[in-house]
Amino acid sequence: MSLITTRGLGKHYGKVRALDSLDLTLEAGDPIALVGPNGAGKTTLLSLLCGFIKPSTGSATVLGHAIGSKHLVGKVSALPQDANFDPRISIARQMRLLARLQGMSASQAAHETDRVLDTVQLGDIGLRKPDELSHGMRKRMSLAQALIGSPELIMLDEPTAGIDPPNVKIIRDLIRRESANATFIISSHNLDELEKLCGSVVYLAAGKLVEYGPIDPSADSGYLTIRPGEIDNDGFLQACQSIPGVSSVQLQAQGDFLIRYDKQHTVDQQVLQLLTANGWSYRYLINGRSLEDRLYGE
Amino acid sequence: MPILSICQFEWSRLFLTRRGWLSIAAFVLIWILILVTIIAPAARVVTSELSGLAAIALEALGLQNLSRWASVEMALYWVISLYLLPLFSITIAADQTASDKTRGTLRFLALRTTRSQIFFGRFLGQFTIQILLVAVTIASVLILVGYYSTDKLSGALESTPVVFVNLLLVIMPYVALMALLSVLARSARQATLYAIVAWTIISIAIGVIQSRYGPLPILDWVLPGSQIGNLLRLDGWDTLSLAPVPLLHTAILLFAGWLAMRRIDL
Repeated sequence: MSLITTRGLGKHYGKVRALDSLDLTLEAGDPIALVGPNGAGKTTLLSLLCGFIKPSTGSATVLGHAIGSKHLVGKVSALPQDANFDPRISIARQMRLLARLQGMSASQAAHETDRVLDTVQLGDIGLRKPDELSHGMRKRMSLAQALIGSPELIMLDEPTAGIDPPNVKIIRDLIRRESANATFIISSHNLDELEKLCGSVVYLAAGKLVEYGPIDPSADSGYLTIRPGEIDNDGFLQACQSIPGVSSVQLQAQGDFLIRYDKQHTVDQQVLQLLTANGWSYRYLINGRSLEDRLYGE
Repeated sequence: MPILSICQFEWSRLFLTRRGWLSIAAFVLIWILILVTIIAPAARVVTSELSGLAAIALEALGLQNLSRWASVEMALYWVISLYLLPLFSITIAADQTASDKTRGTLRFLALRTTRSQIFFGRFLGQFTIQILLVAVTIASVLILVGYYSTDKLSGALESTPVVFVNLLLVIMPYVALMALLSVLARSARQATLYAIVAWTIISIAIGVIQSRYGPLPILDWVLPGSQIGNLLRLDGWDTLSLAPVPLLHTAILLFAGWLAMRRIDL
């Protein structure tokens, strides 16, 4: 049974096709990145899968059940974009309600509330109201509700948008830890972060599926990405181009060199030798391209 | 059951929040004002001159049945509440889903239960709150009767179940109306405005239709509360002969609200 299957799934707002006839099958496992420019249909897709909006065309199943099926209660959860708790009621009380709705008894709900708040390192804020928390803490609190009852599928829409690095790290570590128990689908513009967390990527643009495949850069053979330390950029560029098999070398905006080469040659060893010979340092060398280069490169 | 958990949480939204307590405080203050400045003094006037001018006035207003009530305070309470409690209901029940929908809080709930259970749970929560408020107002009148005219207390107690049941039937469609409008609105204030606008437009439309095509009795029953005038002319449990009207209004409004709730984007 697939994690998610969509057949001709679409959502139209008048003449605007927010999502256009999407056919997609996703399997459970490593976290799945959902990427694309603004207006690509990422939030629309997640909202459809969560049952927040109705499809205009097509259908979808989640864990073998139709969207909105009662069989999905407790199995599927989400951190919806821009969804907030009631600012007037204590966090623990709201969490307990959600746990009760998932079929837990009052004592189980109280215990589960403590557990998920501890998981996001907010164990001491249960009696506070959401308005008393920072943006990053509120985001973690929203993430905590998605963990109630240990669901099989957790969909996160922009989980780290607009929050500070310490909170980002907490959320990223948590996703990495929890991904042993559940499959995450993470929509984000932060491709570096997705690359670190996810095993595959769904790339949408203008409401259509552009690409779905593994995120592993090594699968993208014929490329090397290197972030140098303090080096002579022009000298390195010219030296690289003279390595047999290298067809092009580009300095990317973020400071990485993208080396394209003929797959029949082994280039990585020669690049390392080149660095050593010239006394140049480097911060990382990736066999393949970064996600950003793969999706938005030439 | 999810519906009961949501109903219970609705009580928390009223009784455990500052805004909820402000609503309750406003309700209590207005009610005390009505008790002290209208019901208590009016009861004394009516009691002393019931056989004279007051009886004629009541008859002229079609309210001669009030003179047959054992307790004048309870009779006045009956008339005032029939018109006033629906207004309270509209105000208190205006935010069943509106602000939660705008804030995105409903999405957290919708992941865990059906929209139907959210809708009916919220309605049930609001209605049970209003049952409590009606009970409190009746209790305050009984205390007033006990204080000013102890001999009428047993008569007032006798009429209490009839008054209580009828008032619940009267306010039920208003709570259902706000359940529907709250689904369509983005805030409690907008839901209340929708209620006022809808009321005005429907009233004008009925007036126009009747002036053009002559009296159409069925249109007199379209708006919630349309049975109130007739209620005042009935006694005791005879009043329940009009119960189908608010029950039908409630059923239609809840059905419309339920349909809207199933269709809206969260």
